[in-house]
This record gives sequence, structure tokens and C-alpha cells, in this order.
Amino acid sequence: MNASKHVNSTARILRIVREESLRQRLRARDEQALVELIDQALPWMLGVAEGILHDVAEAEEVAMDAFRKLWDRIETVADNGSGLMPWLLRATRNRAIDRLRARARRIDGAAAAAVDLDEIPGVDAAPVDEAGMPGWPVHGAVHRALYDLPEDQRIAVRLAFFAGLTHSEIAESLGIPVGTVKSRLRIAFDKLRVSLAPIRDWIL
Amino acid sequence: MSTHDWFIEHRTAFATGALDGTERESFAEHVTRCAECREAVDVIEQELRWLPMGLRAVAVRPGLRASIARALVDPPVITPKRGIRMPLALAATFFIAVAGVYDAAGARSDLTRVRADAQARVAEVARLRDTISVMRQASRVLQAAISVDGRNGGLLIFADNSSHRWNVVMHGLPAAPTGQAYQFWFITVDGMVRSVTLSADPARPAFATLEMPPTGAAVMGASLTLESSDARSPEPRGRELAHLML
Repeated sequence: MNASKHVNSTARILRIVREESLRQRLRARDEQALVELIDQALPWMLGVAEGILHDVAEAEEVAMDAFRKLWDRIETVADNGSGLMPWLLRATRNRAIDRLRARARRIDGAAAAAVDLDEIPGVDAAPVDEAGMPGWPVHGAVHRALYDLPEDQRIAVRLAFFAGLTHSEIAESLGIPVGTVKSRLRIAFDKLRVSLAPIRDWIL
Repeated sequence: MSTHDWFIEHRTAFATGALDGTERESFAEHVTRCAECREAVDVIEQELRWLPMGLRAVAVRPGLRASIARALVDPPVITPKRGIRMPLALAATFFIAVAGVYDAAGARSDLTRVRADAQARVAEVARLRDTISVMRQASRVLQAAISVDGRNGGLLIFADNSSHRWNVVMHGLPAAPTGQAYQFWFITVDGMVRSVTLSADPARPAFATLEMPPTGAAVMGASLTLESSDARSPEPRGRELAHLML
């Protein structure tokens, strides 16, 4: 095993130990553990919620809701095999999309989301302080995977996953048949499942 | 295409929430019966679990982290609405009237006792939280094994450099001999500084949370001695049981 692999494997073991410790302390209602989790997850959760809702105040409420849900159901969440951070990201995304749908301004959201995708800077251009933050390598990998998709597929993914539009809403928004939307999304998500495989078991 | 083929083809769409209303309901109902599709959807969700992080992190406004933590740990007390409070009050009045033996003075006395008990418990919880906070933030932990009259115990010090406080735990030792006491000392650059006496109970540890000596002299360590109970000497005279240096 070369030195770099050894370092990576040691770092991964440390992350597993840290996450397990965090789970145990959260189960014991340790407030410090909650603070650590908030510290680690909040910037990314707000990023997801703001990216979907385009509203800072609403994004903060969504993040609060997700943390409250986790804190109220910590026994179940801690035993869930998907990890604390993915659970929080998923709860945030679902809640944000629920709000977006309730607002009934999906088409506006779709337009804004399509613009935002192009505004995400390349990972190579990341400022040094961001590159050092936990989770940045995951963001980089996901960002690359999204940008490796052809543009029409990337926009379809953006509208479906980050703007919460359904097949028929995307078709209406882009002026294309529903069958084409389904086919683009199916191909795009199949590619993403392959390209995100290396980070599937990542622990933040 | 068979019905099940349709579900197979739409697993990803269901996992990512892209199905339209009726299709989504139909799929949600299907996965309650079809273990194969349920497992496949779980796998897809796992494979795409980091996809939300395609959106970049944003700066957190100052104070938000703390306010979220506070809201979760100390949720605001919700006062019952008037519509709820009134029937309860009426029910209570009715109960008192029917019972006819309720002593108002006794009730006030009970209420006072309950309030005092609640306040004492709140204070105790606050003390315990404070103790735990020092242990949690401890940057140094010192320990010494101690043997007194054939009983083995020890002294543990959790030193929190951020709040400049120590948690001192003495455990496993017998009660001090008659006329003597376990005396804790700070070792400072200016000499020994008398601190607290600790009461030993073999059944449970003795805790003390200590501020640094008021003299302001830099603390280099600590000592535990057995001193005469009435001794007020500024320096140790008795047997030293533990000597710990930072």
C-alpha cells in the first residue's frame, strides 16, 4: 500500500469513528454533539435550501425544520444506514421542494434554477478557504459529475432534482414531449449513479 | 410493456421525486407490495445520496448556529390557548366543588413546596450541566491512584483552559479519619494555595468545580493531602496523597 492510500484509509477510519461517536452522543442527547453537527452540516443545508427556494429566510426555516426532525427522531435517524449528513441533506431538499410546490411558482423556480446551474463556478476556481472546508471534495465530485452531462440532460436533472419539477412540468417548461424528458432524465441519472459511485460511501 | 416493467423503468424517477401526482401515488402504493422495487429504490437513493451537494455551501449568518441549537435544546414553552384553558379551569372548579374537602391553605402550601422543589431541581440540572461542560471542554486530564487504609481510589482533574476551571473528582476513598479532612491544593508559581476540602463517600465520587486561585498566580499543578480538620495553615502539613503537575 503506498503512502497516499494509507493516509486516505486512515482518514476514512477516523471519519467513521467520528461519525459513530457523533451518533452515540446524539442518541444520548448530547448538546455539544448537536452543535458539532450543526456546525458541519448547516452551510451545505443552507446551500441546498437557498438553491431551491432562492429565499434566505425560508432556507433558514427549512434547515431548522430538518434539524428539529433529526433531533426529535434521533434514535431512528442514528440507526439509519445512510449517514447523518445525507439524511439531513435529503430532509432539507424534500422540505424545500414541498415549500416550493406550496408556493405554486414552479415555473419561476425552474427558470431561476436553470440560471443558477450555469452560475456555479468550476471546482478548480474554488477559493482556498472553501477548498479546506469539510465536504468540499464531495461537492467537487458531484459538480464534476453534473458538468460531465450533456447540457440538455444537465438542465433536466436540475429542474427535476433541484427545482422539484415533475416530468410534465419539465416538459411544459422546456417545450418538449414528456417522453423526451423521461428519456433524458433516465439516461442522466444512470450516468450520475455511475459517476457518483466513488463517493457513495463517503463519510463527511 | 407489462405493468411491472413500467415500475422498473420509473424507479429512478420515483426515487428523485420527478413522477407526476397520480404516477407517484401509484408507485408509492406499489413499493408497499413489491420488495424488489422497494430495494431498488433504496439502492438508487443511496447512490444519489450526495447529489444535493452539487449546490455549493453558503456562508452562515452570525448567530444562526447558536439560535438553531438553542431552539432545539430549549424549545419555547407553549402557553395553552384560552379556549383550552377555560374548560380545564371549569373542570377544576367543578372537581373542587364536588369534593368539598379541598383545603385552600393546604393547596397553597403544596404549590409552594412543588415550586421550591422544581426550582431546586432546575438549579441542580444547571449545576450538572456546568460540571459536564467543564469535562467536555477539558484540554488536560490528570489522574493519580491513591490508597488509603487499604482502599484504592484516585483523583481525577479535568482542566478546561478555555474557561479556566477545573473539575476535580475524588473516588473510591474511605471517609477521612476522625478529625481529618481531604484537602485539595493548587500548586502555583508562588507556592501552595489552599482550595476546597472534599468529603469522601466510598459509594460515590466527590465532585468539585473550581475556579483558578484568586491570587492570579499561574497554576502548575495540584496536590491532595489529609489535613487536620481545624487546620487553617496556608501550607500543607499533613500526609500528601497525590501530587499532580500540569
